[in-house]
Amino acid sequence: MNELALKEFLYKVADDQLILGHRNSEWTGFGPLLEEDIAFSSMAQDKVGQSQALYEILHALGEQNPDTVAFMRNANQFHNCILAELPNGEYDFSLIRHFLYDTALAIRFEMLSTSAFKPLAELATKIRGELKYHTLHANTWVKQLGSATPESIQRLQKSLEYALPFALGIFEKSPYEDEIIKSGIFAGEEVLKSQWLRKVEEIIAQTKLQLPDTSSMNPVEGGRVGKHSEHLQPLLDEMSEVFKIDPTAEW
Amino acid sequence: MNGNSLDPRVNRLPKIGVPGQVAAKAPLDQFGTFEVFVQPKEGKPFQHEGAVHAPNIEMAYVLAKETFTRRFVCSSLYVADTRNVYVSPMTENTTNAYDLIAEIPQQSGEKVTFEIYHLLRRGKQHIHAGTVSAVGPQEAMLAAKAQLRGDKAIYNVWAIRTSDIRFTSPEDKDLWVTLPEKKFRDASDYKGGDKLKEFLERAK
Repeated sequence: MNELALKEFLYKVADDQLILGHRNSEWTGFGPLLEEDIAFSSMAQDKVGQSQALYEILHALGEQNPDTVAFMRNANQFHNCILAELPNGEYDFSLIRHFLYDTALAIRFEMLSTSAFKPLAELATKIRGELKYHTLHANTWVKQLGSATPESIQRLQKSLEYALPFALGIFEKSPYEDEIIKSGIFAGEEVLKSQWLRKVEEIIAQTKLQLPDTSSMNPVEGGRVGKHSEHLQPLLDEMSEVFKIDPTAEW
Repeated sequence: MNGNSLDPRVNRLPKIGVPGQVAAKAPLDQFGTFEVFVQPKEGKPFQHEGAVHAPNIEMAYVLAKETFTRRFVCSSLYVADTRNVYVSPMTENTTNAYDLIAEIPQQSGEKVTFEIYHLLRRGKQHIHAGTVSAVGPQEAMLAAKAQLRGDKAIYNVWAIRTSDIRFTSPEDKDLWVTLPEKKFRDASDYKGGDKLKEFLERAK
């Protein structure tokens, strides 16, 4: 098993979870209704927890401890897709991002449940229920608002069109893509993308939304190789502000 | 200033009007409520935990899951529209709620199953007591009086048609598998008291 390839894969999934987990947590206290505020915050916490589990696996492979990895890197050392770092905007965008992203994440971990790398396969089995709730939450909201009123349909439609090129960036191939597939760690971004598209189509078909043709779209890539938008560094500065006051403090 | 703030609480401030108007109060822009029942452990009865606001029962289920089962342990959860919950008169002291339910003649129509809940201590939650068959809710409570009453005083009885409940399917019980590990949601896990004591000791 190529260790560099494996680490690169773990970093990108972990970084996606940490960055989007932090973004989603920015809604805490501002959610559209109390119950949704609680649900969205809980799921943000789940994401950060899942990123920690992945950083622990990396730590066992010789990388620095999870706190150092999460709080002490600069933007160009992060491997998350750009979709995850975009500002929250209005709730319609956050919801569409949650739907597009978590659909891919749940399928990714379903695929990983048979990974040749045992720690990943075990983690995938363990968090299956968490991810099931995240997609149930996303699908239920999209079906609800995607069919509710002209305003909700129009808002989701606009956010869907804006978010899709960024969502395609989730599947940006790693420099080690072939090795990842050959070694049985993961069946590859191409397989994930086609399953994702089928699931997204299936849910959107149950709404009054129109899914634009993704085959003619240019994916927004670069995140996987550390080329980020201007939005990531301010997020990292804020997220690590307290930690950096005293990195040796015990919490 | 209204409508321009990033803080939704500011945007909810009432609009400033013009002199001379008298108008009917606008209805609240608010969803209906759904009652939430939780089974803390496999084999234990479901108990009523509270209510959520939601536009429909599926949304209610999704929102209830985190509102009521984001801490401690849970093995299953279900929800029902508040309008589909039938309640007996409330009692106190040694009066049993079942004794206040008026007898009615046998009803015609198809029997369906109802879930029955008892309030065994005032101020506590209603707990699932069993399932009965009846044509309507009053007949269901009379059937429960015969079948589920027991010896204890029961202060209130609820009945819900089984078909009006959005249950958790057996294969979805893994929704709560990792819940016991989420101790970080529990204030006691931070041992704030111990840390404060330690700090005060050090400061001496």
